[in-house]
Amino acid sequence: MSALVAWMPFLQPMTALGNAWWLLMVPLVFGVAVVHRAIQDPTMDGYWGRVLSLTIRANAVLGSLALAIYLFVYFCIPLLRAD
Amino acid sequence: MTQQSDSVDGPLNWFPALMGWVLPGLGQVLLGHRQRGFRAMSGILGMFLAGVFVGGVDCVDRREDALWFYAQAGAGPIAFAADWANSALLKTGKVGRLIPSPPSNPRLPPPRVTSFKTVTMSNEVGTLFCFTAGLMNVVVILDALRRQPANPGGGTT
Repeated sequence: MSALVAWMPFLQPMTALGNAWWLLMVPLVFGVAVVHRAIQDPTMDGYWGRVLSLTIRANAVLGSLALAIYLFVYFCIPLLRAD
Repeated sequence: MTQQSDSVDGPLNWFPALMGWVLPGLGQVLLGHRQRGFRAMSGILGMFLAGVFVGGVDCVDRREDALWFYAQAGAGPIAFAADWANSALLKTGKVGRLIPSPPSNPRLPPPRVTSFKTVTMSNEVGTLFCFTAGLMNVVVILDALRRQPANPGGGTT
């Protein structure tokens, strides 16, 4: 029954994400890009395009690192001899 | 490496920097850089509110997660408000229930924690969002400290 009670945003953690919590990396990087570009760029012309570009590049780098670590842990480490 | 054209080696803008802590981005707005200020404000407040939305107010805790809170406090009074909400609503049991948790010291009675407290990834990610918002606002405050005021006749940037 308690699971059916409405979720209280800002008071209860969001549990609906399940195993997809890592997708929150995208809005986090977007927020950082919004702030970074707001104070770093000489002009505000083309601001959102640069924010989008930074978001995509940063997420691509983070995703590549995650993939590399995944491959290392699940494929390289099992090849090591235990003795 | 390009030199940021709006920064100068002149006097530091202490008042706008202080206002930038009170409300993220307000320092740039007071210096005439309205677009910069409002965009930084939306980014920082968006990240902080997203963190509390995902993790609940429990992800801002001045006593139990002091090291995280030092950085989260960079986002300004909103961090203290979230900590107050955590203490006044969750930890007192006004919202949710207080339930016993496993004691760290078996000779002491089990501490009681709110039923809304979790150790899920949502809570950790929410903490990280608020942490990042606080750190980014420190960067924005430092920018306001050194940024040259906008030319009144030159429009806003």
